[in-house]
Formats: sequence, C-alpha cells, structure tokens
Amino acid sequence: MRYLSELTNPRVYVALAALSLLLIVPALIGSAFWIHIFVTICVFGALSTAWNIVGGYAGQLSLGHTIFYGLGGYTTALLIQHFGLTPWVGMFAGAAVSVVVAVGIGYPCFRLRGPFFSLATIAFLEVIRLLVIHFNGLTGGSAGLIVPLQIGWEWMIFREKMNYLYIAFGLLLLALVVSLAIRNSRLGFYLTAVREREDAAQAAGVHNAQVKLYAVMISAALTSFVGAFHAMYMTFLEPATMFSLATAVEVAMFALIGGLGTVAGPLLGTLLVVPIAEAARGWLGASANGLHGLVYGSVLVLMTLTLPGGLVGTFGPRVTAWLDKLPGARKRVDRDPPPLRKVAGTKGEVVLETRNLKKLFGGLVATDNVTVDLKRGEILGIIGPNGAGKTTLFNQMSGFLKPTSGTITVRNAKGEMVTPDSADGFARLGVGRTFQIVQPFGKLSVIENIMIGAFLHHPHVEDARASALRVARLVGLEALKDVEARNLPIGDLKRLEVARTLATEPSILLLDEVMAGQSQADTQKMVEIIRAIRDTGVSVIAIEHNMHAIMSLSDRIVVVDSGKVIAEGDPKTVVTNRKVIEAYLGEDFANAQGL
Amino acid sequence: MLRVSDITAGYGRTTILDGVTLEVNAGEIVTLIGSNGAGKSTLLRTISGMIKPKTGSVTFLDETISTLTPDEIVARGLIMVPEARQLFPVMSVRDNVLMGAYHPVAREGMEQRFEEVLDMFPRVRERLDQLAGSLSGGEQQMVAIARGLMAKPRLLMLDEPSLGLAPLIVAQMFDIITRICSMGTTVLLVEQKAFHALKIANRAYAMENGRIVISSTGEGLLADPHVKQAYLGI
Amino acid sequence: MDVTAQLILNGIMLGSMYAIIAVGLTLIFGIVRVVNFAHGEFLMVGMYAVYLFNKQMGLHPYVSALPVVVLLFLLGALIQRFIIQKLLNADEHIQIFATVGLSTALINLALILFGADLYSVNAPAARQPVPLGSFNVLSGHIVIFCAALALVAGLHMFMQRTALGRAIRATAQNRYAAQLMGVKVERIYIISFGLGAACVGLAAALIMPLYPVSPTIGTYFVLTAFVVVVLGGMRSMYGAFFGALIIGIVDSLSGYYIAPDLKEVVYFAIFILILIFKPTGLFGFGRGTE
Repeated sequence: MRYLSELTNPRVYVALAALSLLLIVPALIGSAFWIHIFVTICVFGALSTAWNIVGGYAGQLSLGHTIFYGLGGYTTALLIQHFGLTPWVGMFAGAAVSVVVAVGIGYPCFRLRGPFFSLATIAFLEVIRLLVIHFNGLTGGSAGLIVPLQIGWEWMIFREKMNYLYIAFGLLLLALVVSLAIRNSRLGFYLTAVREREDAAQAAGVHNAQVKLYAVMISAALTSFVGAFHAMYMTFLEPATMFSLATAVEVAMFALIGGLGTVAGPLLGTLLVVPIAEAARGWLGASANGLHGLVYGSVLVLMTLTLPGGLVGTFGPRVTAWLDKLPGARKRVDRDPPPLRKVAGTKGEVVLETRNLKKLFGGLVATDNVTVDLKRGEILGIIGPNGAGKTTLFNQMSGFLKPTSGTITVRNAKGEMVTPDSADGFARLGVGRTFQIVQPFGKLSVIENIMIGAFLHHPHVEDARASALRVARLVGLEALKDVEARNLPIGDLKRLEVARTLATEPSILLLDEVMAGQSQADTQKMVEIIRAIRDTGVSVIAIEHNMHAIMSLSDRIVVVDSGKVIAEGDPKTVVTNRKVIEAYLGEDFANAQGL
Repeated sequence: MLRVSDITAGYGRTTILDGVTLEVNAGEIVTLIGSNGAGKSTLLRTISGMIKPKTGSVTFLDETISTLTPDEIVARGLIMVPEARQLFPVMSVRDNVLMGAYHPVAREGMEQRFEEVLDMFPRVRERLDQLAGSLSGGEQQMVAIARGLMAKPRLLMLDEPSLGLAPLIVAQMFDIITRICSMGTTVLLVEQKAFHALKIANRAYAMENGRIVISSTGEGLLADPHVKQAYLGI
Repeated sequence: MDVTAQLILNGIMLGSMYAIIAVGLTLIFGIVRVVNFAHGEFLMVGMYAVYLFNKQMGLHPYVSALPVVVLLFLLGALIQRFIIQKLLNADEHIQIFATVGLSTALINLALILFGADLYSVNAPAARQPVPLGSFNVLSGHIVIFCAALALVAGLHMFMQRTALGRAIRATAQNRYAAQLMGVKVERIYIISFGLGAACVGLAAALIMPLYPVSPTIGTYFVLTAFVVVVLGGMRSMYGAFFGALIIGIVDSLSGYYIAPDLKEVVYFAIFILILIFKPTGLFGFGRGTE
C-alpha cells in the first residue's frame, strides 16, 4: 500500500509515464527497425544504469564492464547448448559467475586510483577476451557461438519482435529500480561518501572496500542479466562483440553524458545518443561506418568541456523543482530523532591509552615515545608549535596511521582494552575524529554530510536524517542544511567537520583545530558545545592553536614539541613551564623574560 | 617599496585575508608574526600573484602588481621563498639553485651570482651534485634561500625559514637573513618563532584571523603583552 | 639455446618499438599528470600521415619522420591547449573521459576517412634480414632500436642540459615552486604534451614500413605501452625504456614457449600484478620524475 500511494507523487507518475513511452512509441510505429532501436535503447540504458552503480555512485571508472555482459551471455548460451537449460535460469548462473569474477577483480583493483583503476579494468577485459578465444573447445573461440534456435518464451527467442522489447524494458526497469533503491539507502550514501573522500568516510565508520564490493557485485549481476538477454536477442556470440572495449567505453560515456551518479542520467544519455547513431546506421548503411563512434566521442569531449555534470547534473534540479509544483507533490516530514546512544562506563576510567608511541617517516621522527592516557569524561588539550607531531599523533589514535612501534588501545563496550585494525574499526568502537584540513563530501548537502556520520548507528535513511538534523541544530548549521558543502566558507566547514563526527555519537572525540577560522562568538559557542558533550560522558582530546579557547576548555594539557611530550598538567602550570615557553617563543625569549 | 592596501583574499568562496594593509620600505627587514591559520602564508601568496585579491591592491615600486601573473611579478624582483622549502626533490642542488635564475631577467650575470650565492652558503657548495631531497632540513632551507637569491630579488619574502630547524641552525638562519638585508636586498619575513624574527626586524606586524592587529618596531612588538598572550594564552 | 637467444634479440627489437611510444606516454603523465588514453590514436594519426606522405608525395617513411614529428607535436600541443588545459582542475574522471572520448572520436574519424582496410607502404629495405653474428634481425628493427636509444639520450640531454629542460623537470616535481621561479607552467604543459605526441610521430614513421595501418592499430600498441609505463614506474623515461625491453622479451618468449595467442595474457597479468603490488614500478624509478 505504501508503494501504491506513491503513485500520486508527480516525481513517480511523470517518470512512469515517460518510461512507458519506450513501449508505446515503438508499438504504435510497429516497424521492426524501430523496435530494434528501442530494444537497443533499453539494453544500453540498462547496461549504463548498472555501470553507474560502480562508475557513478562509487566513482570507480570501470572501462571493462563488458566482462560481465560477456560472461552473462556466454554462460547462458553454453548452458543451453550443453544442458538444454532455459536462459531464464541460465541468466542467474551467469550472474553468479559474474559476481564471483567481480569480487576477484574488484578486491585487488579498488586500491588503485583514478586512471589506473580504469587501465586495470581494461587489462582484465583484454585478458578475459583472449582467454575466451584461446579455449575455443569450450567457447567456440573467435569464430563464435550460435544460440540453438528454439522459439518461445521458454527460450527467450521470438518471431514477434515486440516480445524482445518487453523483456528489455523489464530489465531496464529492474536496473532503474535497483539503482533508485541504492540511491535512497545507506549504501548509496556510503558509496558517494567513499567516492568523495575515502578518509572522511572511514572516519565515519564506513568500511570502504566492503561498500565498493557490494556496488560492483550488484552492478555485475545486473550487467550479466542484460548480457544474457542480448545474446538471446542476437542469437550469436563472438568474443569481439561480447567482450568489446568499445562497448564498455560507450556504456560509461552514456552515463557521463546523462549525468554520472544520478538515477535517470544513464538512461537519458542513452536516449540522447543511441537513436541518432542507430538511425544513421539504418539510413546511411555501411557508408556511415564510424559515424556513430565519431558522434559519441565528440559529444563526450564536448560534455567534459561544457557540462561536466551531464544532463541531469546540470538541468536535474530545475526539472525536479518543476515536478514538485505538479499536483500531489510531497513535503518532507521530519520525524523525531531516534534516542542518542548512551555512553556507558564509569567516569574517570581510562578509555584510550597510548604506550611509547613512535612513528618514523623515513628518517624523521614524527612522534617519539608518546605515552598518554585519556580518562572518561575529561577534556584533554594537546598543544605544541607547528610541525610538533600533534596531527600524526591523532592519526595514530584514530587508526589512520600504524605506529612504527608502541601501542594504542581503546576501551570497548565490554570494558576490555583493544586495538582495532582499521580506521573504520576505530570509528565503530566509538572513536570519532575531525580532520585539521577539512574533509567535506563536497557534492553532498550539509545535512547529507552529517547523515554519513549518523548512519553508523541509524541505518535507516529517515532516522539518520532526523538524527543529523539534531546535530545540525546543535552546532548551528540548520539554516544551511541544504547547501552543497563545497560552497561553504571555512568556518562553517570546520563546524560541519565537528557535526559529522558528532553524528557518529562517539564515546571518544578527537578534535583537530576546530576553532581555527571561527569568529570569537562561534569559538565561545564551540567551547560550550564541547563542554556539553563532555558532560554526557564523552571523553575529548582537542588539538588547538587558539590558546584562549584551549586554556579555558581543557581539564588537562599535554604539550608536544618535536614529537615528544615535553610537559603535562593542568593549564595554569603548563603555560608557565619554561620548556613550553621555549618551544613557542624561543630560548632567548625565555631568557629575556627571566623565566 | 611594497604597499599592500586593504586586500581581502581567500580560496574559492572562503575569505582568509580580511582587509590587510602593510608597507615595506627599501632596505628594511619587516617581520610579520602570527599563529597558525592567521593568514600569513596566504598574504605572501597573494603578493606573489599565486592568488588574486578579491578587493584592494598591491603595489611594488609604484606599480600595481596585483593584476600581474606570478612570472611577471618574479620579473620585477619580488621573490618568495615559500614555506616548507618546496625544493625540486629529485633534481641536483645545482639545478635547484640555477632554477632560481630561470626567468630571462635573472639570467643576466647568472654565473657570477651563482658564485656569490655559493660563497654565502658554503654548505650548499659542498652539496652541489647531491639530490636536493637527500639534504637535511637546514641544508634544504639554505638551498631554498640560495635559489631565491639567484632570482635577483629586490625584495625577498621568506615564509617561516626556521620551520623544523634545530635551534643552532635557526640562529644561523637569522644571521644570514640580516646579511642578505645588509647587502641591499629588502626582506619581508614571516615567522612563528617570534623572538628571533622580531629581534632582527626594523619594523613588525602581528596578524590574527586575517587582520593586522599590531604594527610597531620589532622591539616594540616584542615588549607588547598582547604578543605573549596570543602565543600562550596568558 | 640459439632459439632462446634469437627470441630475446627479437624481443629487444620489439621492445624498442614500444619504448618510443611509452617514453611519450611517460612524458605526458610525468609532467602534465594526465593519463592520455588517446595516445594510441596519436600513433594511428601519425601512421596515416606517413602513409599519405608516401602515397601522395613519394616520401620514404623515414624521410617523412620530420614533418610527421612536427605535425604530431602540433596536434599534441593543440589538444593540451584547448582541451586538457581547461580540465586540469576538473575531477579526475572528467580528464579520463575527455581523452577516452578523443580516442573514440579519432578511431571513428579514421574509419570514416579510410575505412577498415589495412594500408601499408612499400619500403622493402626495412624488411631486409641483417645477419648479426649467428642471428638475423630486420634492418627496420635495427633502425628502431637505434632511434629509441637516440631518443632517450637526446631527451636526457635536453632535460639535463637546457634551461627549458630544467624548467620542465622542475614543473613536474613541484608545480607551485616552479611558478614561484617565474616558470609559465601552462606553456610547459603545452610543450610537454607536444613532445609526448611527437615521440609517437617518430614511432609512426619507424613502424609504418613494418606494420600496416588501420583505425584500431593504436589500441593494439598503446595497451602494451601502458603496460610498459606501469612497469617502468609511470614517470621515468628510463624506466619506460627498460620496461619496454622487458615486455618485448616477455612478448617474444611467451609467444614461442606458451602460446602465440596468450602472450598478451602474460604481460597483462604482469601489468595487473605490478599495478597492485608494486605501483612504483619494477625499478623503483617511480618516485622520481626525470
């Protein structure tokens, strides 16, 4: 019922009406040529939509996606040939093969950045294509494979071409629904977060490799389904077309043209360029050989220069704004936030401790034998001149750097002291950190940025949103909640950094220079917020250059210089310590002042 | 010689400099102090043309330079030695120093200047054929200054030359800076280690949150209670 | 044993061909920091140019090297100036798509202009076997080998001994500092992209006597060149040179000892392994930018 009632939402009914044109138009025209064009549109729209889950949402520019298309086609065709298995079952076997291969390729390749990931996927595509050619006993080699001609729904081969269109349209719908569901789920938000900033995502407790693997598995399965169908449609498979680099590139380019990382973009991109190319091929015949590729390539270069956001990225907001003026439009109702996670444990017990922490970068000693305890419910200030090693210390305390020697342990829910083995593991244990150099998810709005943190304990989107809104209110970002983060000034970005971390509801909060760039009034407010959080039982470590703020905020202060702890104690004693004054102002100053 | 008038600047939409005005006269050492994030480096980048100011202007030798490109500003003898040295790590020390004289204006008399500069930094001369990335922090800083001097500076801007150096080397560094000034090059010095930098300064400015908050003589700033407060919060 | 030695010799000859292409790719990646997916298509353009010079004006491919190198330099410089330059601050995926789009457009443009047929030039002198001790090598391959050596040596001199070369290296290592020295980095990028493309122009003139040209010839060579570049540490032209020789030898040996149709599988497997396990390349040149 909940889904049915959505039908009166203009975003839904307009989309459905538009989609149904893909069936109605060719049915009305009725020519085999036009049905073929629409089947091609649905196939490429579905391929591109599936690709977009990896290439767009997760930002991993695969140029080898036809691996899964080909595997789907070949598995299905071979199962028919050897076992007489219907393609309706075979396509699931193909998808299973594709998912396994996707994990095998994805797991090692996800550590590669940008163009090198793309290159590796091309290499995998080439390897698989060559292997398919090589093992010609099984695959028919480069000569290809003919699908046994058994007609009927059971075999997915028809005389009536409209039937193909029904299946292609169904696959397109499936891809779109899956894509939409991911977009509006925690997985979708996490994928975007990982794409924008891996470090910040990890700090919010996201297991980066895992979410990327989910994306590639889903995408591979969908791609494989389409490959299976398309093989039945063409009734002939050869390595050059099933594992084609050109097709892999086309699928990616349709998504970019339409709008990378959007639900409707890949289909729109396909709709824009495929009909032109296919029609040209139909009308001009062989003399148009190459024309469609020239059109694709040129449109792609022009898009990168003029509309890098693609059609949807550029015009989408205007269209949705217009749609929301139609009858039946929904207003977002904010629900009440879920209860905050309670910080358990006794006040004063040690929650995080480092023992003889040493970190070397080449020959440089960044932290030298640092031993620090953090107690439950205290605010510990860390100060020291530029380059003293404070941020390096933080990076080790939050799992972003492994110490060269020494240990860091954190108290878990059972009260044991443990060392998580990854940064996201630290986050899930309740260690929340901010970054000195702010790490916003630039293309997400303020509230979505905070939601990435909130998802750690509130997997449902609406809960996460409500909880994020509560944090936004707390740090004074509510008025800016729908602004894209990349448009914020530095002061607001610093607060967003704090907000995203607070939304993870940490029990240990590591703040790296969050006062920098704040006005006097905002600094005061931030001090009050941090105190209020401490009063709920959270332990805080703050690195700060704003001396007024850190002195009034901290219960205890640790001074670091050249990687070493040079002083420790309550704020008043620490600043009159001679070593501290030397570190900040120089030995001569201390002498001159007679200290 | 250099006049910065009421400039605001920043990256993208963020504003870091908020109406900064300052002057450097020929033959002076002027020191600018301030804590991390006060906007000191942004100011130097704006003066050297890496960032365009949103409002206000920079004039050098009575010419407006805030509309010029970085290489045009270099050609006028306004040279910056950037924070953290920024050497070319896998080039030899010799090539690093010679890069300073890349601009056609500076190529004239390059060989002679190369010798003069090396006389000033005997340590650099010893290391000419080593890769710059293999030097110690102090040596790298000397290479960076030597490279700056090769560009025929009339005004040399030094961004935190003492950063990450041992105290003894810091003292040497400030001696060298005094010497550079006495040889006829004006110096604008940005520092966190305030004491030394203020000691050798003719005049000094203190910066906070993108604004100049005090301007005085070097000794005057050193005696200012506000400075101690800004640094130690007491 | 003799077979193996002959195969290794063949591999080195083949490798020096990849070397010229890979050095160009390295220049572009090392300095402009853009992976040029259209590099192979530059080769294809160059080869058609050589073919046309030969057919229309009767120029020997080796003679046409000069105009083709100039032509490719201009092509590269224009692409940098009007496409890549505008995307330097754009997202990485936009840069990838721009060169991928360029590649698709160029392949298909060639398909429209020349069709899918293979074209070759008549230069029998380049296909003469030359005895080398007890082995035989094609004269054209010896020319390529010498040219590859000369190219690396020439670029080395240019980079080390000239002010412009120094500025190029400086820009590659630290763009910000180079700017502070008064280097016009945009101009350096245009020159570097042009140089990278010009290398392929040279390769085109040398390859044309031995291989026929078709619209997709670039894909064939450039995928191998990418393998080479990754093997050599991405930014080092010396790494690229030695990487190319290694891949040439691997190609030659695995073609004989494993299976001719699986030799690409062998070096793509090496490629994937290197990318994943030793991204600084086989020789550790990766950190440098020379």
